Amino acid sequence: MAETPDSAENPRAMLWTSIAIAYAAVVLFPIFWMASMMVKPNDAMFARPTVWLFAPTLEHFKYVLAQGFHWSLLTSFGLCLVSTAFVVIIGTPAAYAFARFEMKLKDDLFLFILATRMAPPVCLVIPFYLIFARLGLLDTFIGLTLAYMTFNLSFYVWVLRSFCRDLPVELEEAATLEGWSRVQIFRRIVFPLLRSGIVATAVLCFIFAWNEFLFAFMLGGKAVQTLPVSIPKLITSQGVRWGEMAVVGMTALLPVLAVVFVLQRHIVRGLTLGAVKG
Amino acid sequence: MTSITEAMPANAARASRERFWYPYLLIAPTMITLTLVSLVPFIYTVYLSFHAAKFGRVTDFIGFDNYLHLLSDTRFWNSIGVALVFVGIAVPIEFMLGLVGALVLNQHVKGRSILIPLLFMPTMMAPIVVGLLWKIMLAGSWGLISYNVLERFHLIGQTSAFASPGLALYALVFVDIWQWTPFMMLAFFAGLQALPLGPYRAAAVDGANGVQVFFHITLPMLAPLLVVIGLLRLIDAFKVFDTVYILTGGGPGISTETPSILANKMTFEFWNIGEASALAVLVWIAFFVFCNIFYQVAKKRLNAF
Repeated sequence: MAETPDSAENPRAMLWTSIAIAYAAVVLFPIFWMASMMVKPNDAMFARPTVWLFAPTLEHFKYVLAQGFHWSLLTSFGLCLVSTAFVVIIGTPAAYAFARFEMKLKDDLFLFILATRMAPPVCLVIPFYLIFARLGLLDTFIGLTLAYMTFNLSFYVWVLRSFCRDLPVELEEAATLEGWSRVQIFRRIVFPLLRSGIVATAVLCFIFAWNEFLFAFMLGGKAVQTLPVSIPKLITSQGVRWGEMAVVGMTALLPVLAVVFVLQRHIVRGLTLGAVKG
Repeated sequence: MTSITEAMPANAARASRERFWYPYLLIAPTMITLTLVSLVPFIYTVYLSFHAAKFGRVTDFIGFDNYLHLLSDTRFWNSIGVALVFVGIAVPIEFMLGLVGALVLNQHVKGRSILIPLLFMPTMMAPIVVGLLWKIMLAGSWGLISYNVLERFHLIGQTSAFASPGLALYALVFVDIWQWTPFMMLAFFAGLQALPLGPYRAAAVDGANGVQVFFHITLPMLAPLLVVIGLLRLIDAFKVFDTVYILTGGGPGISTETPSILANKMTFEFWNIGEASALAVLVWIAFFVFCNIFYQVAKKRLNAF
């Protein structure tokens, strides 16, 4: 880790630390506030002036469970797991190839991959809807798994490529001279070295799929309803169920919270498509 | 960049044959999948954009009529304007705040390993949950900020900022800044951490002050990264959909209707699929041009990329 040039000790460190903590507190306060709404009774929620202290209630949790929201939770998990697994299986060899080998049109092929990552999902949802309607893939698990490939496969190949580039090429060269086959080299050298990169990138793909709304809303929604899609459905004709929304929203946040604490070093690299070495 | 096959001496004939097909075999599944889920839908969209397609029924070939109609539609130009205002205000502010924040983090801040994951929270949250969060904070009359700040200081009355035509877009800009400033900050911080120490030591020997060091050493070395991250954020900000969808749905009126929201309405509310496709194609072309620029810049300015 590079240190900054001026190394005046404690008093300055205290100052900068408190500035950073104050900033974080302000930024994170809304999340804390939403968390408190999970157990806030309705009358306290809408009170003017704002009520800070209240007797906690579980009514929102009860309603959410009664609405069968745990099925959305399961759907989200299944969908994200399956689509991420496909991305890893298909994308890992491609990322390795793009990092290691010369190919004709490599730049053009790679630009194509970038373009699929950058294209606005709204542009894709129209053709997907019509094609899926014809093929009977609307509101199916397979349909959404396919749709999630558009943003996650290209992202995965792009980011994993930057991990592949960090592998020392000498080991593979030595193995080639030893007469190892391509498959052996990949299985015994590349894959073990690449494992942490694969896990980090795959988990980010999982989170993107977990957070995805538009495809899940437009191409699924009834039989296959993910967690983000269940949130707007709590805006009912009798009014908005704020407490219940807070419950679902915080549930959607939990895996993300776990992931950022475990993967913080890799996240910067992932989100910046490998432009920054995390 | 050297490849293994180039470095391999013996068995040249077999090696060159292998060199030819092996990489293509590895990328084939990805390319086939992406063609199916990206290129095919794109071609279908282009096809639809040249046809009269309403209510799911594709009828006549009408040439560029959808495009002409779109380009003469004030609502289309409004959506472009909305997106430009949104991106034009949000991204520069995120950029500046992010840079300042990164410089602060790069000082002697204790407990970074806890602070950094916490700061990542807004960026990693589902956009729909971010929307929900700010719907709560800025809800009319009872929202924490609506009541205690906006109303108390007579900024706006008992209404949500998202419901006020003059304010809604700026409220969305504010939400975007809240969500994405931490991303800029941590990306720039990682860049700062990766800078070599040598020039700083030299500057310390020469007795340069903090401002000089920043403008003559830090900024030039960080510049390529700043450009790439800035472009990446610009592209992503232009695509904004989820937060706008849940917070304003493009309203009040059309004051926050971005091209994404408009395309979505054209498809799933007006069922004018031909024109929606034309809009999608235009957006797609714009993005492809932008991606090309992004790729060239990234390749030239950041070897690591």
